[in-house]
Amino acid sequence: MARNTHAVIVGGGTSKFGVREATLFDMVQEAAKACSDDIPALKPRDIDGLLFCSTKVGRHSNALNTAPLIAHRLGLKPTSICTRLDTLCAGSNTGIILAKGLVESGIAEVVLVTGAEKSYLPQRWETNYTELAVNDHDWDSAMGLGVPPPFFAMIAKMHMKRYGTTKEQMAHVSVANYNYGSTNPKAHFYPKTLTMEEALEARLIADPFGLFDCCPLTDGASAVIIASEERAREMSERPLVYIRGTGQHATHSMSAGWPGETLAEWPHLKKAAEVAYKNARVTPKDIDVAQVHDCFTISEIIEMEELGFCEKGEGGAYVASGALNLGGKRPINTDGGLISCGHPFGASGARQSLELCKQLQGRAINQAKNPKFALAHNLSGACAQHTVVIYGTEPVE
Amino acid sequence: MAELQEATIVGTPALDGRYITEMDMWPLECPEFNRLYQFYDNLREGRFTTTKCQKCGHIAFPPGVICPKCWSEELEWVDLPQRAKVVTFTETQAGAPIGFPRPLIMAWLGFDKDSPIKHLLVRIVNCTEGELKEGDEVRLVVFEVPSHPIEVKKETKICDRVYYAFEPVK
Repeated sequence: MARNTHAVIVGGGTSKFGVREATLFDMVQEAAKACSDDIPALKPRDIDGLLFCSTKVGRHSNALNTAPLIAHRLGLKPTSICTRLDTLCAGSNTGIILAKGLVESGIAEVVLVTGAEKSYLPQRWETNYTELAVNDHDWDSAMGLGVPPPFFAMIAKMHMKRYGTTKEQMAHVSVANYNYGSTNPKAHFYPKTLTMEEALEARLIADPFGLFDCCPLTDGASAVIIASEERAREMSERPLVYIRGTGQHATHSMSAGWPGETLAEWPHLKKAAEVAYKNARVTPKDIDVAQVHDCFTISEIIEMEELGFCEKGEGGAYVASGALNLGGKRPINTDGGLISCGHPFGASGARQSLELCKQLQGRAINQAKNPKFALAHNLSGACAQHTVVIYGTEPVE
Repeated sequence: MAELQEATIVGTPALDGRYITEMDMWPLECPEFNRLYQFYDNLREGRFTTTKCQKCGHIAFPPGVICPKCWSEELEWVDLPQRAKVVTFTETQAGAPIGFPRPLIMAWLGFDKDSPIKHLLVRIVNCTEGELKEGDEVRLVVFEVPSHPIEVKKETKICDRVYYAFEPVK
């Protein structure tokens, strides 16, 4: 691609994640305010593009053309792009991929990528009222496939059977992520820590998952600024964080098209990662710190394998080795991940990427040691699609 | 008041609460709205079918009006195997989507080596909680699901519908 400049992530902010007494729009305003606090020189009039990422848009899942509404609430008057993305759990990392393309092609200069979800509604049943619409409606949803726990429980059972993964190994993921999240005031479960005993004795949600194996539904919003390096230098004196490479791979919408030999193999993630590594000119061993999609503990284990951080089948042993911790081989989900921060679908990707921006600028709460390369990953829906974004302190030349 | 409240909350008042347009659990199956109506007509005759490409031979699932491999429109309906083995499964008490009975039993099926579809996620019916085991054989079962009205000019027509699941072979 002809490139006019390099796209960078300048900074950003999030609302408090949790069960919020606030509307979706309140939270987007909170995230934008936090973003502006993080980049004091940023003015609303500097922003020429807006990508709004939301799956359900609060109580009105049939809401349409919501990006202009967000622009109005934030006082933006976009001139390059103003649209919404509905890529479910990967919404705002998808926004970052598009923002990179828009900035590097010269179509946009400063893009606000903001994601938000309002999951808690007046009655409990309302939250999942539209859940059948998140899968292939006529084929899988009509079988009863709704929100993920049962599907990922089958994935976990399969991984345990084929590779000997244990509940104890899965608990290492929840313990690591809760403990990281206990230092993040924006996390849903801040300041909760978790012990192995608590994790293993938790109430069963869907065999083999206990309560702490699952991320919660969460209200929240996030916002990051993606800009050309020239515009970023005008706004911030912090080290630049380049979006080096990206990949997004979809292989199927319904279960009959599942690409793996079994549910325990995710070749579509492996492919998305390969594309991102190639574009970023790095290999898995170069990645110093990562934010991966820990919707369930088993997901993080399989992601370690398919991202190439360990051999296939050894994800359980890898997460139990202490590799995820600060001072370990490769700190993972250092802000608490989905498990502690919670998962407001459209907001999660930008929350992850903001943490990596802070890591590469040396200002994270749980700071990894001198990281040069960082990776963000999301899966969407019933593991139908994978999204990978790789950041670095130097651009790809 | 109670009736009004019920209609307002669970259904579409204009349709007397008969179905929730946005969250209808089942497909629109009738020829007026779906070119794949043959799939459902075949189900009514006890056949589990899909479309095969007459150009490249690819058998796709779900069926379509073009071949997803070569984009040819020359397709024919072929039968799929109606029996498969349970590879893994899950029984859900708390998490079943609205409208589905609990426990909701879902299974990941493995089909024979020579089957054009290798695996499928399905609902298991006619089965009690704790009964199903990995490796069990299951077979296709077709049942009626709620019908819906459609407007044809000034008339309202009712469309009957069917859907499918799998049940243990006992």
